[in-house]
Amino acid sequence: MKKLICMVLALAMVLGLAACGGSSSTTTAATNAPAAAEGETAAPAAVSADSINVCIASEPDTLDPALNSALDGGTMCSHLFAGLAKWDQDADGNLVIAADCATELPVGVENEDGTVTITYTLRDGLKWSDGQDLTAGDFEFAWKRAASTELGADYGYMFEVVKGYPDDLAVEATDDKTLVVTLNNAVAYWDELTAFPTYFPVREDVVADEGWATDPSTYISNGPYTMTGWTHNSVITLTKNENFYNADNVTMKEINFYLSDDANNQLSNFKNGEWLLIDDVPTNEMAALAEQYPDEYFVVGQIGNYYVCWNINEDILPAGSGLTGAEAEKARAEIRNAITLLFDRNYIVEEIGQAGQVPASSFVAMGMTDADGSQFYENAGHNDGFVGYYDVSEEAYESNYETAIETLKKYYAYDESTGMFTNFPTLTYLYNTSEGHKAIGEYLASAMAAVGITMNLENQEWNTFLNTRKNGDYSVARNGWLADYNDPITFLDMWVTGSGNNDVQFGKGANADTKAYSLDLTDLGYDVNVVDGTWAETYDVIINLIKTCTDTETRYELMHRAEDLLMSTGCIVPLYFYTDVYMLDDSVHGFFSNPLGYKYFMYCTIG
Amino acid sequence: MSSKTLMYILKRIAMAILTIWIVITVTFFVMHAVPGGPFLSEKAVSEAAQKALEAKYGMDKPLMVQYVTYLKDIVTKFDFGPSIKLRGRMVIDVITDGLRTSAKLGVIAAAIALVFGVVLGAVAALRRNGIADKIIMVLTTAFISMPSFVIGSLMVLILSVKLGWFPANGETAKGLVLPIIALSLSPMANITRLTRSSMLDVLGQDYIRTARAKGVPQMKIIFGHALKNSLIPVITYVGPMLAYIVTGSLVIEQVFAVPGIGRAFVSSITGRDYPLIMGTTIVLATLIVIMNLVSDILYKLVDPRINLE
Repeated sequence: MKKLICMVLALAMVLGLAACGGSSSTTTAATNAPAAAEGETAAPAAVSADSINVCIASEPDTLDPALNSALDGGTMCSHLFAGLAKWDQDADGNLVIAADCATELPVGVENEDGTVTITYTLRDGLKWSDGQDLTAGDFEFAWKRAASTELGADYGYMFEVVKGYPDDLAVEATDDKTLVVTLNNAVAYWDELTAFPTYFPVREDVVADEGWATDPSTYISNGPYTMTGWTHNSVITLTKNENFYNADNVTMKEINFYLSDDANNQLSNFKNGEWLLIDDVPTNEMAALAEQYPDEYFVVGQIGNYYVCWNINEDILPAGSGLTGAEAEKARAEIRNAITLLFDRNYIVEEIGQAGQVPASSFVAMGMTDADGSQFYENAGHNDGFVGYYDVSEEAYESNYETAIETLKKYYAYDESTGMFTNFPTLTYLYNTSEGHKAIGEYLASAMAAVGITMNLENQEWNTFLNTRKNGDYSVARNGWLADYNDPITFLDMWVTGSGNNDVQFGKGANADTKAYSLDLTDLGYDVNVVDGTWAETYDVIINLIKTCTDTETRYELMHRAEDLLMSTGCIVPLYFYTDVYMLDDSVHGFFSNPLGYKYFMYCTIG
Repeated sequence: MSSKTLMYILKRIAMAILTIWIVITVTFFVMHAVPGGPFLSEKAVSEAAQKALEAKYGMDKPLMVQYVTYLKDIVTKFDFGPSIKLRGRMVIDVITDGLRTSAKLGVIAAAIALVFGVVLGAVAALRRNGIADKIIMVLTTAFISMPSFVIGSLMVLILSVKLGWFPANGETAKGLVLPIIALSLSPMANITRLTRSSMLDVLGQDYIRTARAKGVPQMKIIFGHALKNSLIPVITYVGPMLAYIVTGSLVIEQVFAVPGIGRAFVSSITGRDYPLIMGTTIVLATLIVIMNLVSDILYKLVDPRINLE
């Protein structure tokens, strides 16, 4: 009987673990072990100039380029495979999308029905790592497989722009060297898509074995490297692929991707010279590391937004406000937009984030380019004197605060003597278990408590959290979004009514029939002028127009208008734009990364 | 072996099987009752794709049907199925990979803990209140009280980062040295204290005095009588300890980046990788049950006074 009790206890522990998992999207050191503070490096381990040891994350879920949806897996796939195009550096070190397996990246031809057909010619002498010839048919097979409902890949929707998505993709190999693809309409970021791992070729006979991507002996690729070793949870070894068409320019013979998800462990290995690049740095060490390793500590932009989202159906009006329907929703939008002004984003990035993040006042993140090549976020909000929908500079904080109080006074009882609102309903802030998210939640709650609004904190384990937020069982929640490609639509189309990522619940529940949104696009030549329509009649419509718009300038203007509409609801409270912090040994040359966070080691040399 | 002993063993084995079945059943249903699912991610897949995936893994059927199918596959084919998150890998392979490392680590650490623990415990008992005893007691108290992640992190800081003697990742033989030491310290300290107190107890027994009075040499008293008898409580400790070391080295695996089973266990739960959760739970539960069983049986064999009923 005693054993039985022990087993039940063991089981309770097992399930208890479910309550203490962590996030996989943003990483924060969970164990604050006392790693070295002074940081002198001991005798460096012997490092061969032909081989580089790096650590970008723990064991990837998959290295099948079609199934992968993680940054680390994407980086590894980009070393193992070559698509039609690739991210590269030009002579001046600027990032460009260049032809890879294709001889060039041609402009599409517009058909009568508005679809666009692009014809690619493959280079001569393309081979798989086992010596077989690579054909256009391999691309056709790979794309159809990646997009299919049957495969159910997280990133299957990357093929959404191709005609016939998902199960009748309009891509065809007319001969061994020619690939013809038809898009629904001209797509500004198409070249970039073809450089994305989901678009990499795989061979039918190779992937017929479901376990092909888990074992070096069955892993056949076509890129700069082949996989020569995978000790699960420990290290993945890539060795230069002599069958690669561009092998002469690949300088690094071997890459060892060590697998660790512990920031302190990564730092230990960086400090003792074992690993030359680590992609995760303990937050509480960042300030010290930036000082000690000025030439080896890097903060670069990463296109992503850390924000707070409201559940649009959460009633925050005081009891007895008398407002209903569209009127109530407009009032709530005004209130939410006022509350967003109570937060000091500079405090959040400097005291909590500490990784050089940039305070945000718009949703489409820094790093996205606009029609004229400038930054999209700099043109957001159409305001003079500051960037975005409100001024988040340190100087503006006080006046923001006052504006917020004045607005809130219109709806809530305010006690002038204490400076507190007395009848704001209690809120709950939902976040996934992590020290970093908790610290931000605590700050937000304290900023609201200062004006008499109670916001309790509730944390949930990652998977439970995703479920709760997706189902809209929350009032306010932590959120974050990393761009999939360099086009603002990746931030905007997630908020259409039917989107699986519509955590705010726009157009759902009570909001479905709320006629509180207006959209006038007549000045852009569209026959769209909705006054007080539903979310589906406005936002869904403009997103649809963006997706079919072929004129670049109009398209970008539409995207600004979509963001205006989105931000007017106040349901999105941007806090900061993400950065990517990594440490790179100063003996490494030729390394580069892209704004999506992919890292490239093939042209590295050590010395 | 008497028939009574045999009956006892058979009964215990039946109990063990029953226990494991209960673990499987409870885990299966509670796991499905926890919110979330394996196909949930920050970037949502389409509903059609989700349906296709559910059908692929048999999750479109009623829960009871899934349960019966699962049990049948385990019992008749020893088939734990494919992992959902680690696409293309079988659960049994993930477990074997992790267990191989964890077991290597655990068995070596347990052996070290046992050998040093018994020797130090015996020395402390024989030199009771002497300087050696005091040093050993202070050290063991420290090792028991300090959590393994503190010891582990300290070792990384000094031996790896500062002195550069050992790597801070555990994939090579050299890399396993630190985690093994970190893992063995606490159980070693426990065994030392157990051996010491039990040895002191035995040394005070009448039969030891009789042996002394008869003029039996000191060495023979210690090794022939005292140590042998004082190890009985240690045996009961070793079984569960081994299970604990093999299954509970998660923190150490994390600190030293050792590819053990603990990580697979935790990530399977956060990712709702149902087949992997079941697989790891069953294997770990079975390990614990077997270790307890073995130590109980050994206990009986070395000490005939113990009543099996």
